[in-house]
Amino acid sequence: MDEELIGFFREPCSQCSVVNWGVTEEGGYYCKSCHNVIERTVEVTDPSCVTGSRVSAISHGAKKPAKQKHGKDWMVCEGFQFILKQQAEALLAMGVRPELKDDILCNFWRGYLHKSQQAYTTKPLYSVTSQQESDSCPESLAASELSCLSKAETESDMDGARSTISGWSSDGGRLSSVCTEALDSSLYCSARERRMHHLMTMPMTLAFLHLSLLWLQEAITLADLLRFTAEGHIPYINAYQNFPEDMKLFGRDALIFRVESLPSYKMVQEEAHNLAIFLDLPRFPPLTSACLLHPSLLCLRYLMELNLPDELHVWVCWVMQQAGVGKDTFLTYDPWAEKSGLLNYDILASALIVVTLKLLFKLDDQQEWCLSNSADDENKQNQDSSIFCFRKWYKTVQGALVVAKEAEEQAMARKSWKSQKPVYPSMRNKSVVIKRRRVVEQLQAQFQKLTGSDPQPRQDSPSSFRLRWGEEDGGGPSYQGRRLGSAVKKRKGSARPSNPTYWHTALSSCKPRHCTDHFLEMEDSLPRSYVSVLGMVSFLLGVQETHVHAEVCLLERLLFKRPCQPRTKTSHGSRRKK
Amino acid sequence: MITNGCMLKSFKVTEEKGNPLPPQREKKPKTSPCVLRCGTAYGNLLAMDDISAEWMTSPVRDCGSDNDVSNDDDDEDDEEEEPIRKRSKWPDLPIPAPWYGETSKETGFHRSSRLCLNQIRECLLEHRWQEAAEYLISYFQTLEEISTPRQLLATEIIFRLGSEILHQHPNSKLEDVNHFFDLMKNTGVRGYLKISLEHSFHLLLTGNFDDAVRQLTTAESWRYGKQSAVQADKMKLIHAYRGFLSYLSWISKKGSSSEDDDGDVSAIQEMHTYFRQACISLQEILKLPGVWDPFVVGYVNMLEFYNDHEGALNVLKEYAYDSRFPPNPNAHVYLYRFLKRQGSTEKKQIRVLKILGALVPSHELMLELFSLLLESGTEQSLKEALDVLFNLLDDCSWKHSVAAWTCFRNMIKLLRRKKLKHLLEEGWETRKDWWPAFHFRTYHARADFQLSRQLLLMKVVVASTLVGNKCMYCRRKNELENEREARRMIKTHKKRKR
Repeated sequence: MDEELIGFFREPCSQCSVVNWGVTEEGGYYCKSCHNVIERTVEVTDPSCVTGSRVSAISHGAKKPAKQKHGKDWMVCEGFQFILKQQAEALLAMGVRPELKDDILCNFWRGYLHKSQQAYTTKPLYSVTSQQESDSCPESLAASELSCLSKAETESDMDGARSTISGWSSDGGRLSSVCTEALDSSLYCSARERRMHHLMTMPMTLAFLHLSLLWLQEAITLADLLRFTAEGHIPYINAYQNFPEDMKLFGRDALIFRVESLPSYKMVQEEAHNLAIFLDLPRFPPLTSACLLHPSLLCLRYLMELNLPDELHVWVCWVMQQAGVGKDTFLTYDPWAEKSGLLNYDILASALIVVTLKLLFKLDDQQEWCLSNSADDENKQNQDSSIFCFRKWYKTVQGALVVAKEAEEQAMARKSWKSQKPVYPSMRNKSVVIKRRRVVEQLQAQFQKLTGSDPQPRQDSPSSFRLRWGEEDGGGPSYQGRRLGSAVKKRKGSARPSNPTYWHTALSSCKPRHCTDHFLEMEDSLPRSYVSVLGMVSFLLGVQETHVHAEVCLLERLLFKRPCQPRTKTSHGSRRKK
Repeated sequence: MITNGCMLKSFKVTEEKGNPLPPQREKKPKTSPCVLRCGTAYGNLLAMDDISAEWMTSPVRDCGSDNDVSNDDDDEDDEEEEPIRKRSKWPDLPIPAPWYGETSKETGFHRSSRLCLNQIRECLLEHRWQEAAEYLISYFQTLEEISTPRQLLATEIIFRLGSEILHQHPNSKLEDVNHFFDLMKNTGVRGYLKISLEHSFHLLLTGNFDDAVRQLTTAESWRYGKQSAVQADKMKLIHAYRGFLSYLSWISKKGSSSEDDDGDVSAIQEMHTYFRQACISLQEILKLPGVWDPFVVGYVNMLEFYNDHEGALNVLKEYAYDSRFPPNPNAHVYLYRFLKRQGSTEKKQIRVLKILGALVPSHELMLELFSLLLESGTEQSLKEALDVLFNLLDDCSWKHSVAAWTCFRNMIKLLRRKKLKHLLEEGWETRKDWWPAFHFRTYHARADFQLSRQLLLMKVVVASTLVGNKCMYCRRKNELENEREARRMIKTHKKRKR
């Protein structure tokens, strides 16, 4: 068998670019697909070998690379540990406190391994020795292992990868180890097992990071985390590429580690909540107003990003107070609290801004334009533009967003998803997969030469802000320092909005799980300017409009605790009065 | 851009004999999808709709989930040990392929590829080749698609986009194109022959005749396990085109040898070799049902040159009358021309043209049919001739033809002379409710007058016979004539004054 030798020599054939080499008796390589014999002969890789005969040199050289190629036996959780470590390091490089990696994430991970019986336990979910001895003493197997084994057997008929491997291993024990998947990857392939033992998935790595960041009260919200992941600052797509040399991915490992899409906000949030419950985490450290995750500070950030005047912050804080969402009892995450889920701090903060805008400008497609007209008049009178004009702001931000959306779409179109090191689904497919990868690389190189473009696109450094204002290459002029002007009236010493009314959608809360999303059916009936503002906010956060709308509804419910109100125009001059 | 003319109009186009153009330039009618076609037009590459159509119609066998790394997904290279077993499970029905559009379950990778394809499409439509090539770099990753139907589709799309971009990009050289085609041939072994054929078309377009021949010769001898058997249809096409290129060489040899009349023996022999090569392949392809217009023309041309008129006639008759072949007006056109060249009887010619008229009533040869029928002169043939004219003028494209209307006028005169005016009534009966609006309105008169006075005069005779003297057309004609007369008077008056 000269498979080892052939595995060693991976250049494509010059005639047909297939990598499918055989070795002739003289020790020369020939292409199995087009029978092209090439000049190159098997090289003697072992310098200690001094035998003159070439044939013996082949057999001698054959063993050594085989031993090198023999990857270490490894478990899937080791792979995830490696990925988590890399992700944590990427976060540290962004300036997160070092406790994240060594203290918090590490402890979470250990706790997870223990709870899921993968390590730190006397009864491991999968043990190598019991697997090997299973033939001799099947009665000693734990129940879970039995199920895992039977699963593997039934699957082996359907799953080609498995049968191929067993086919190879029958040739000789050494060969089977040239390419092996992780020891316990069969466990991960059944959805039932995954659910039962709460096994790791790629989105769960982000859930781990999110929980750790939340525990540390770092300024990176979930939306930020997902954006950094999408931009490639946090390793996620093809994270397995950087595995150490002796951890070789093969067959089913691909199903576990290969990523073809990024998880959604909701999904990671749910995963994180489930994980917190599974880990039996205590109440998180209280979230006080000094924390960067506190809505009042997050709002400051989003106001800046949305190019809204700072003066609005007072109103946002006031709304926050009225709704009672600024207290640490409300904000602190407790996995075991009743009716609890993870709070989405970023969406909450942006919803606060939307509610404030509705309060001041009403956003009913009329009032805000009237106020803009009066702001324009005031500016004309004062011969400057110190008063915030909703119309101008809307035009600026909307224009910048259209550009940003287009750029995002183009970036998505150019995004690279496939790994440099492909994972072979089975031994038989190996040559095909390698060949295809090679062809892709050759095609890319050819077209790069043709276009004269740079193979490695430059990557921007991670930033909390997607849009910049008031700079030369920014999206437009900055409205940060503008005053609200006639949108706010002074009466009896206290300020109140000059807009007298507030509209909202039905406040009655729906049954959870029965109907969740009314935004799509309502969208056409909502005022356009409100929908546009939702669109801006949701684009900045990278979530869907419906999430922001749901959060706005929730806030309104908290503000006017009056259930079962149809869509009304509520006058609430007295309510708002401090 | 070269288009593969598929419109009815193309029936009118006569082919130039022995023009050594790449065959796909020749226009031919559309065929039903079940028969082979000789022009897998290279020019169609630009038509991006074709790609979408391809998405819709490519046969699907495996609609399994995308993450399913099933065994025979990537086995195209292992075909010898792995027969195409799973395929038989899925009947080859013409079900539309899944449209890989936007769905809620779409993975990020698929979204990227969809957006990327859209971008490339935009770039191609606006001829931004550089940008298209840049996007294509990102699009290549779809070749590594896991599910087989998507992978096959990606190969096809990349091949088409890539060759089009390379064809148009200012920086691309012939080596680039060749390298690209070679790579693509080896990626999708399932499309090897098709890509070889397209490669040779490309070479023909860029004027590398010898390379194109070499390309086809290599493809002819290609063997790849079961793959070559699966692509038997394509192989036939390759043989046919190989033969056709031999025919083209034969023509160029013929042209050069006729110049110096000495008749170099070796040149004649060479010419004969080409003839034999072409004959064998062309004979083969003509046995299969399909639309083989350029091949037939070439083959008949050669046979005629070597005085095998009997053989040529048989070939043409077979091509025109075999019921397995799709109805093809050009087949009858060729047969008619051949008969005319051979000086065969009018009866035979009329018979062929009548069949052609049944297929395409507005064919330009119908005027010839008309004059042939007139010559025979019986009442029956006069009636048929009138029908031919009516049918011809039903078609929009003949509306302003002076020749057609002149024929009609002559016909009316003839009928009057022979006292057979009742024949007109029959044809008119079905048309009297729409022809006045179609031909004889006031504005028609004005337009016709601007076009040519002759046309107006011819049509007036017809209109007054069919509709009556007082129809709009005639009245308008009179006004126009009066105006013209008046203008002439003024002119002559002025001249005289001077």
